[in-house]
Amino acid sequence: MMRWRQLLSWLALSLLLALPARAEGPACGAPADALEAAALKGTQIAVDRGTLRVMVVGSASTQTGGTSGANATWPHRFQRLMAARLPGVRVELRNEGARGMTAAEHARVLADLGPDFRPHLVIWQLGTVEAARGLSADDLADTVKATAGHIRAARGERTDVVLVDQQFSRFLRANADVDLYRDRLRMAAAASGAQLFSRWTIMRYWVDNERLDLERAPRSQRVTVADELHDCLARALVEFVLDGVREAR
Amino acid sequence: MAVPRISLVRPGRDLRVDFVRGIALWMIFVNHMPGNVLTYLTLRKVSLGDATEAFVLLAGYAAGIAYGRALERDGWLRAGARVVQRVGTLYVAHIFLFVVFTAQVGFSAAALDQAAFLDELALDPFSQEPYRALFEALLLRYQPAFLDVLPLYIVVLALFAVTMPLMRNLGLMLACSGLLYAAARLFDLQLPSWTGDAWFFNPFAWQLLFVIGIWLGRAPPERLARWFPWNRWLAMALGVLLAANALALNLFWGVTLSSIATPEWIYDWYSTIDKAGLHPARLVSILVLVWMVAHLLPASAAWLNGRIAGLFILMGQRGLPVFCLGIFLSFLGRVTLEASSDWWVQVAVNALGLAALIGLAALSAWYDGAEGKRKAPVLPQNGNMAKTS
Repeated sequence: MMRWRQLLSWLALSLLLALPARAEGPACGAPADALEAAALKGTQIAVDRGTLRVMVVGSASTQTGGTSGANATWPHRFQRLMAARLPGVRVELRNEGARGMTAAEHARVLADLGPDFRPHLVIWQLGTVEAARGLSADDLADTVKATAGHIRAARGERTDVVLVDQQFSRFLRANADVDLYRDRLRMAAAASGAQLFSRWTIMRYWVDNERLDLERAPRSQRVTVADELHDCLARALVEFVLDGVREAR
Repeated sequence: MAVPRISLVRPGRDLRVDFVRGIALWMIFVNHMPGNVLTYLTLRKVSLGDATEAFVLLAGYAAGIAYGRALERDGWLRAGARVVQRVGTLYVAHIFLFVVFTAQVGFSAAALDQAAFLDELALDPFSQEPYRALFEALLLRYQPAFLDVLPLYIVVLALFAVTMPLMRNLGLMLACSGLLYAAARLFDLQLPSWTGDAWFFNPFAWQLLFVIGIWLGRAPPERLARWFPWNRWLAMALGVLLAANALALNLFWGVTLSSIATPEWIYDWYSTIDKAGLHPARLVSILVLVWMVAHLLPASAAWLNGRIAGLFILMGQRGLPVFCLGIFLSFLGRVTLEASSDWWVQVAVNALGLAALIGLAALSAWYDGAEGKRKAPVLPQNGNMAKTS
């Protein structure tokens, strides 16, 4: 049995190596429509001027999220990948996420630190803690709308807000009413001029296509798979943001 | 009167109500399984409300008929005691389902071998403060996901036991209920919860739907028909509105937002429609649906006596046990879909689940029938007996 599995994985690996790298689309083959953004005006102006300040707030996945370290998480990878894709542009990152933070706590962080840092792009990963703890989905939507409203009032078009929804997880889906929170997030984003980057949709696609499946990864592989997942997510987010920049031009 | 094809169906009631209730129970079962493809066929995907509204409204309808009669026959004390007994049953059922849920969380965490996920999600206050969690669950202040409808039903029925005599004056009852609803929404009157700020469903708001159900069950049908006559133009206008609404909702769910230039205010309005406090738009939406179904689906429709409709009617007539089994089976369904959500697993989960719900309804009907026959001679002769049983 074991030998067969080994043989199969060798076969798969050699196949992968044999295939040209572009066999998979950009961002680890994430579905194209999940990478489409509307215009991100603030980001585009910042990119044209040469300095892009990105502020990330979120929960566990922005802190370490099971990866090999803080530097391996998607926010840091996003910063590096963006800098690589935008030569001559300085990409500054302020990552204020922490495990277990709720959207209401993120809103306070944004209100406290935002005026000082003056981000051009706020990436706000939220909704998992609310869904897991059964906090009010209505309050979640209200927080998003109020915070996006404050940012818009203070910064106008100079700051874009991108919401990042929950990670796809069979466990979360089976044990929390996650669809309710996803629906509310989507609506809150549409209501407040923020954009939604659907991590759920993308990760689900990877799971369905057996591309990346953190939940089913053997324990010994978990850190490696988490690193790869964060890399792929960062790549997808880069595509999304650059699409928004293109749309704004 | 036509005789239903399925002998276990109780004739003589408005079968439409039982049919719709059966459909609602089935939808609740489906909606309790995120990842189930049939979710796309349920009310929540095309309407502002979902099956919960239908369930609460029709629970009120059934309660109005059953306990209204009991109130007239036996007085408040005896009829109220029966309601309290029902509340007790519901409470025990809820605690049982709570235990099942806790076991399920533990099971799926172990099955997926992912303590990291469980830790990150803090899904499980039970592991951190087990005694407190149990205590809070007994107080109904801790309601894990998917276990929020029964606590609502328990409190609404308890309120009903206390306020039963109001049924003698339906207008007054409706007015009191409307006032409580308004107060709940205006002053944020709600029940506290341990994990969040408040209950998932605010009973002080949702009771209005239950009371409207009682009112519909108690008011003479001729009067209802006079007050809410059929108007083709109004119906067409509302039909267009419902269709537009369904379209708008599916634009959210199905299509990337960047491709449609929909004004923000529409989404802004949609995002204010809360479920917890039964937003007036949700209330209006379900009442419009009731009005349309009541007129478009004649009580004498032949297919209501057919086999397929009969199965749902049977479920609707056994609301409580079917509801509880549905919640229980949805746990199993979720665990199964967690393991695999391939098409054949989806088919199996849905087919077996529905069959089990129908099976339980049939069993319960058969048992009551047998029990009724055994007890019948002991009861005093009563001309209405045939109708009430």
